[in-house]
Amino acid sequence: MKRDAMKPETAKRMDEEKKIADALDGYGRRIVFKEKVALVQASVDMGTMREQARLLAADAATSVHSISRTRQLWKTYRPTFAVAAAVAIMTTFATLFLVWYYRNSNQQQEQYSMLRRDVQAIKQSQNRILDGLSVRRKSLITVNPGQVVGSSFLLTPDGYLVTNNHIVQGADSVYVQSQSGDVYKARVVYTNRGYDLAILSVAEDSTFQPVKTVPYGFDPRPSDLGERVFTLGYPRDEIVYGEGYLSSGTGYRNDSAAYQVAISVNPGNSGGPLLDEKGNVVGIISGKQVATEGASFAIKTDYLYRAIEAIPNDSLKGQPLKLSRRSGLNHLPRTQQVKRVQQHVYMVKVFKHKE
Amino acid sequence: MRETIRLHWTDNDLLEGLANGSDAALNQLYCRHFPMVLHLILSNNGSEDDAKDIFQEALVVLYEHVQEGTFVLNAQLKTYLYSVSRRLWLKQLARKGRYGTLGSDGLIESTDFIAVDDDLAEHERRDGQFDHMAVSLGKLGEPCRTLLEDFYIRHLSMQDITEKFGYTNADNAKTQKYKCLMRLKRLFFSDYQE
Repeated sequence: MKRDAMKPETAKRMDEEKKIADALDGYGRRIVFKEKVALVQASVDMGTMREQARLLAADAATSVHSISRTRQLWKTYRPTFAVAAAVAIMTTFATLFLVWYYRNSNQQQEQYSMLRRDVQAIKQSQNRILDGLSVRRKSLITVNPGQVVGSSFLLTPDGYLVTNNHIVQGADSVYVQSQSGDVYKARVVYTNRGYDLAILSVAEDSTFQPVKTVPYGFDPRPSDLGERVFTLGYPRDEIVYGEGYLSSGTGYRNDSAAYQVAISVNPGNSGGPLLDEKGNVVGIISGKQVATEGASFAIKTDYLYRAIEAIPNDSLKGQPLKLSRRSGLNHLPRTQQVKRVQQHVYMVKVFKHKE
Repeated sequence: MRETIRLHWTDNDLLEGLANGSDAALNQLYCRHFPMVLHLILSNNGSEDDAKDIFQEALVVLYEHVQEGTFVLNAQLKTYLYSVSRRLWLKQLARKGRYGTLGSDGLIESTDFIAVDDDLAEHERRDGQFDHMAVSLGKLGEPCRTLLEDFYIRHLSMQDITEKFGYTNADNAKTQKYKCLMRLKRLFFSDYQE
């Protein structure tokens, strides 16, 4: 039967028959051959073989193909070195990671972060400090590690300011810098740890010119939830505006001295004013809750009043501290309000001398 | 058939002898080229037994290639055997996990080598096929297995087989052989299709 006249199954069967026969043939041949080789192997004189191998080795030593001993060792152990190096690198990174992780996992600090900005070197600001005719050259050039940056703002026209206690705590010297770059040395008049407030004064700095008036008022009455508020501060070296609304009548962990505010603030905003739409200062920014988005906190103005009342007379050095309750910003559009307020908001720079 | 006594075997003589199944040729091949492979293996983390195994396998590669009739020797036979042995040893080392101690440049070489990848790929394919054959034969059971092995491996004649297995005549034996072959075929190809 011709192949192409067959059914495909038959053709396939014939193929397979041939294949299996061939495969068996090949299999048989290999086994037979291997047995033959084994026979030769057994009959050959191994001594002669070894001798000849040694001769080849001697040849190789003098030939171009031989490599120096050290290079051979290096080639031999290179992978081992590679593995050891890889392990060392991985261990280093793992250790660094663990250190970083433990540093960052300090629970309490994470919950409530104080909005201070720690700055290593403020070259930009240093240049601005040197500019300006009304400013004495001061030795702020010395880069002092541990500078803390926050915000503060004028309480009175003659130079009282307020900021957070946590910014100036433990400081050896405090300076404030205006939006236009003027720098004044500040005296810490009073600190209140419980309310996280600190009163500063720049009156003693002769270059400070008292202002005519402070445009905003200080309203101690409680504000309503949903009250639209805004802030100005220094999360950067430039003044930054932020706005939001009052979220809660209490602060972190039901702190009655603070509000919770839905406003975007960052380290550096601490100590800045929180103003309502009429231009009244209703609070002082103090911190934000890291875990919850948008939850920031501000100390109520009422507590600012209380803190001021607690200042001992000697600290005031004859200069009374009286807050204005009236706002001169009412009815003004927001941008105008901001223009007037920002002149009185200062960056706070704190220096702690090294031990 | 009387074998010509050669005074000097050239590479082609050896190949011809190998193809014809000459024992003398095989002997010559072994004595001439085993020391080189022995030296290669011993210098590269191997033992004498390793050298014997590798060389045997290299000879198988050469033999089966020659059997196909397509073998064309482009270099010295010595170079070919060295190259094949070298690759086989590298593969062996990789499998045993001892490769690492040699370094990526590999072996301490004593001579040049040529590319033999195609030949070794073919060898590997045949290895697979023969392994499968061995397994299928194992599954075959008796008397088929011995019957087929006697015929194909030990090359017993039909007459011998008839006597050994007690068949009535040679034709009967042939039929039995055919039946066994069909069974083997089914075993062999069914697994292949999986």
